[in-house]
Amino acid sequence: MSEKNTDETPVVRMVNITKHFPGVLANDSVDLTLHRGEVLALLGENGAGKSTLMNMLVGLYRPDSGEIYVKGKMAEINSPQDSMALGIGMIHQEFMLVGNMTVAENIILGMKDLPFVPPMADIKAKITELSKRYGLQVYPDKVIQDLSVGEQQRVEILKLLYRGADILILDEPTAVLTPGEARDLNEILKKMLAEGKSAIFITHKMDEVMEFSHTVQVLRRGKSVSSCPTNTIKRVQDLANMMVGRDILFSLDRGPYKPTDVMVEARDITVLPIGGGKPVLDKVSFSIRGGEIFGIAGVAGNGQQQLTEALTGLLRVDSGTILLNGKDMTNKTPLQVIKSGVSHIPADRGRMGVVGDMSVGDNLSMKKYRTQELSSHSVINRSWVRKFADHLIDVFTIKTPSQDTSVKFLSGGNIQKTILAREIDSCGGILIAVYPSRGLDVGATEAVRQNLIKQRDKGNAVLLVSEELEELLMVADKIAVMFEGRIMDIVDADKASTERLGMLMAGVEREDV
Amino acid sequence: MRLALEKRDYRSTRMTVLVPIVSLLISFLLGAVVLAISNVNPLQTYGAMLKGAFGSQTKIQYTIAKTIPLLLCGLAVGIAFRLKFWNIGAEGQYVAGVIGITWVMQFWTFLPNMLLLPVGMLIGVLCGAFWGGIPGALKAQWSVDETLTTLMMNYIIIGYAEYLYINAWKAPRGNMGTVRYPEFAWLPRIWGRVHSGIYFALILVVILWFVLYKTRWGFELNMIGKNRRAAQCQGVSIKRNIILAMLVSGGIAGLAGVIDSAAVTHQLTKGVNSGYGFTGIIIAWMSGLNPFVSIVVALIMAALETGSDALQLMKLPAAMGEVMQGLILIPLLAGSIFTEYKLVTHTSHKEATV
Amino acid sequence: MKKGIVLLLIVLLVSSFAFAQGSKEAASSAKADAPMKVGVIYISPPGDMGYSYMHDQGTIAMEKHFGDKIQVIRMEGIPENESSERVMENLIDEGCKVIFANSYNYQQYMLNVAQRYPNVYFEHCSGYLANDNMSNYFGRMYQMRYLSGMIAAKMSPTGKLGYVGAYNTPEVVRGINAFALGARAINPKATVTVVWTNTWYDPSLERQGAIALLDQGADVIAQHQDTTEPAKAAIERGKYAIGYNADFRGMIGDDRVLVSPMWNWGNYMIPAVQSALDGTWKSQSYWGGLEDEMIHLSPISPLVPADFVKQVEAKQAEIHDGKWDVFWGALKDNTGAVRQNAGQKMSDEAMLTMDWFVEGVIGKVN
Repeated sequence: MSEKNTDETPVVRMVNITKHFPGVLANDSVDLTLHRGEVLALLGENGAGKSTLMNMLVGLYRPDSGEIYVKGKMAEINSPQDSMALGIGMIHQEFMLVGNMTVAENIILGMKDLPFVPPMADIKAKITELSKRYGLQVYPDKVIQDLSVGEQQRVEILKLLYRGADILILDEPTAVLTPGEARDLNEILKKMLAEGKSAIFITHKMDEVMEFSHTVQVLRRGKSVSSCPTNTIKRVQDLANMMVGRDILFSLDRGPYKPTDVMVEARDITVLPIGGGKPVLDKVSFSIRGGEIFGIAGVAGNGQQQLTEALTGLLRVDSGTILLNGKDMTNKTPLQVIKSGVSHIPADRGRMGVVGDMSVGDNLSMKKYRTQELSSHSVINRSWVRKFADHLIDVFTIKTPSQDTSVKFLSGGNIQKTILAREIDSCGGILIAVYPSRGLDVGATEAVRQNLIKQRDKGNAVLLVSEELEELLMVADKIAVMFEGRIMDIVDADKASTERLGMLMAGVEREDV
Repeated sequence: MRLALEKRDYRSTRMTVLVPIVSLLISFLLGAVVLAISNVNPLQTYGAMLKGAFGSQTKIQYTIAKTIPLLLCGLAVGIAFRLKFWNIGAEGQYVAGVIGITWVMQFWTFLPNMLLLPVGMLIGVLCGAFWGGIPGALKAQWSVDETLTTLMMNYIIIGYAEYLYINAWKAPRGNMGTVRYPEFAWLPRIWGRVHSGIYFALILVVILWFVLYKTRWGFELNMIGKNRRAAQCQGVSIKRNIILAMLVSGGIAGLAGVIDSAAVTHQLTKGVNSGYGFTGIIIAWMSGLNPFVSIVVALIMAALETGSDALQLMKLPAAMGEVMQGLILIPLLAGSIFTEYKLVTHTSHKEATV
Repeated sequence: MKKGIVLLLIVLLVSSFAFAQGSKEAASSAKADAPMKVGVIYISPPGDMGYSYMHDQGTIAMEKHFGDKIQVIRMEGIPENESSERVMENLIDEGCKVIFANSYNYQQYMLNVAQRYPNVYFEHCSGYLANDNMSNYFGRMYQMRYLSGMIAAKMSPTGKLGYVGAYNTPEVVRGINAFALGARAINPKATVTVVWTNTWYDPSLERQGAIALLDQGADVIAQHQDTTEPAKAAIERGKYAIGYNADFRGMIGDDRVLVSPMWNWGNYMIPAVQSALDGTWKSQSYWGGLEDEMIHLSPISPLVPADFVKQVEAKQAEIHDGKWDVFWGALKDNTGAVRQNAGQKMSDEAMLTMDWFVEGVIGKVN
């Protein structure tokens, strides 16, 4: 696309936006500028703060500090109604449509200035007119649940247009679309821009950035790291580097690679989705030796989480075999898997890793409470727990007011350290870590990585799932790339390049693209 | 200015203390308004209610006697609620307990007299456990929604009990009720109206407290209740624990029925579904699932009922008693939201918290 | 916000103290020659227009009769469990010397309390337990049921009568049998089909029971229930109804309600309280009939032929004079077994434990 004139007053200007969540700094002094008729691509990894930033623009969150200007005027946006009044509308990843109502009913749903009996004929005429103008092909009398995902997305767009939105925010709009539907979406966007509307486009896919946007802004760990016209980007790889970041290089103590026996072996693991369809895991095979960190790369949602859940007994596999420490542990209970020596640092630390409403001490003892170390005859010995927890807090430098503090009040990094401490302390040879440094600050990230390496050096087998190539290249000995439930390739980390891994992550098997 | 609720970053300790107190005050204020409208003096009425519940030895005895089944039902429901298993079937499990003991008392006459009561109580408890275990198993195996199953199973067992006391087990002379249990198999009264069931209830409070706060199983229940998915990741079996907890929950509700029939009614009769199981839900909820706090809450609930006789004695309509009970409970239940959420007013950038 | 609460609280406290001052003065001036206190316990609020309503009519008659010699304390909607014991003790605390309780399952609790308070007189309605200081009382409603059965059979074109019964208690069974005997005295081929609702009071269940009977072809619906719903269901289908407790014809406003057997509890309560005032109270098992006017028929609908009304009145006179009663003579049950030979008179004991249906009743007691 061509570059746009940037002289006039920007339609949206966000200045110095900062937003904290308990334990997480989601946005750190972010600036953002959007001009009339412009498409801005907001690029970043999962958890980089893209959605948070946009949710503040539509009034779902309020910034801790910073200012928002819309069409040159300072704006106070407290709710989606406020943002709609300013002409800003957002299409979320999950559509907000009522399945058993018609398109027209959905479009007027929640509108406040309608008469008690809405003039449906006029409304339908306006919908048809808008649909024709932008080539949306939306028909007002169709019922939502009969529409395809792409059509539903167009209903969402029409809903915003109907309410007079001229600034559209699309949160990963192509994630749910087929390639054909994505092309249609691009056409629709072009028609809207021609009428002077603007759009912000959240994505982590490079090719879409190049295809759709005029300007690209990259967020990393809550900070804006780059903002430039798209046509100044020479190589896709430059974008990837900006997104992943090359600047966090700290030295990690790391012994020589001395692999021992195979401790984890997966043979043709297949998991089918409930209700049928494309397999979530498609004949996944690999093995991990002791003294080895086996990294799994890939864009989130390509089966990594299901793979680790299958390995830890949380998810039933439909076929295939899992061998852990030499024993067949296919479809065994989580407890049997734990007893076979597996520790698990789960992907979602708040929902799976800790019980937020229980104390640090309790959370630290959640693996060992059932052993002789912390209890006798089914009765937990509180003083043993105290000693045990104090020891782990000390060894893993967990920052907490006391071991009686509820875990939910700790920072993300210290929550993760609590999980690490528990899992590493009870580890019986196999450690499975899923996105262990996601959302952590530099120091905590380093601690996590160093701990993983320590386990490897002790001769344990470590499975590390990560979205950050940088992390995998730094920590792992072997890297497997997952795409749509399959392992694309397994490469040695010291021979792998970001470029090659990036292509594999995008589902491209050969380097000739 | 616009008001909105926002989740608190931290649970406010000040709020956990303040909220019940303020709620209670609001409750009494609301009640006072209604009483004033009905043209009686609110303070005098409250005084009369208090006297009605605790004004003499006999009155205290009745209040304590009423507390016993309420406390047991509160404990029963509390166990299930720890797992976020919404057992609203304590009423039915209570009735199952009464049916169990009545069965033994009527037909196990081959037992030596000494054994009739203990065996009857045991069978009653098992019946309650069975009736609670069914929805537990349904939930564990097939994720059948427990609020529906437990509620529906109340009606099934209450209907069955009715069939028994009206038809199958009806006493030869008389109307709605079985033959009364032999007197040697009654639970004795120990102080006026107060019967020895109180020992069972109090000992159970201590046992439950120990199990819930000191044992591995209590720890597992706590984990499951507070984060089911995390507990699962730590190797805790959700299915097994749901079934187990429901067996215990149903058993305790059954014990409540067993004790009340062995000590008070001495038969299966009309009025066996007295609502204790439903009140138990309120008690469990208000006590924060703590067995010791349940004692106090159950006593308050009992006193609200025994005390509301005073309202009729003051020539207020009978329904006023229930109105007052409801008015006193609603703010207490609604108030709990303020320990987790704060009230925020959106006017400018400044946020006012209450 | 907090300030507001405090302020509200202060205002409330001040106003209630002021209130308290006023009412205390009123209370102290009322103490004069103390009337005897009488406690009355109802299973439901009298507003139900059914069973408790009729009892309250008796209570009102009693209040009128004695004027300021007695003071009545009503306790309504008291459950039939140990709560009733508590309520009785509370009434005694209030100074009640006589306590009436109107529902069957109170009897055991009343006996318990009676044994603890020998100086208080207890009057239990509809049960059989008694003590030195506890009587039970009831009325021979079956006599009225018999008369209403005659009218029902006379007006029924098909002879198919329906009866909505609450529980299979002897009281209800006796009423059904009397109704059937009355009907078959007029139409020997008449049948009475019974449905049980297993509730005294449940408007929708009662209506459903009546509809089930009407669907089976019944053209007169009689009832032993507390609400007018069964009767209304019959009227809506264009059929006839027999009321109970109160005069349904007046309440519903339709002449197709042929007649209603009614209670007159005051006729027992007044002498009972009089004897307590006089100090001549004696324990008894009282079963009053027509001769005491404990029971009576409402005015009969104008749809019933006048000469037939005369026939009913003649029968009523016979009963009143003690020349004849319902369960006299040969009786067969509805399996054909002979229950009583010709010339025999059924004892009260047999009537009070009746658990079988007479010939012509379709249904089972259990």
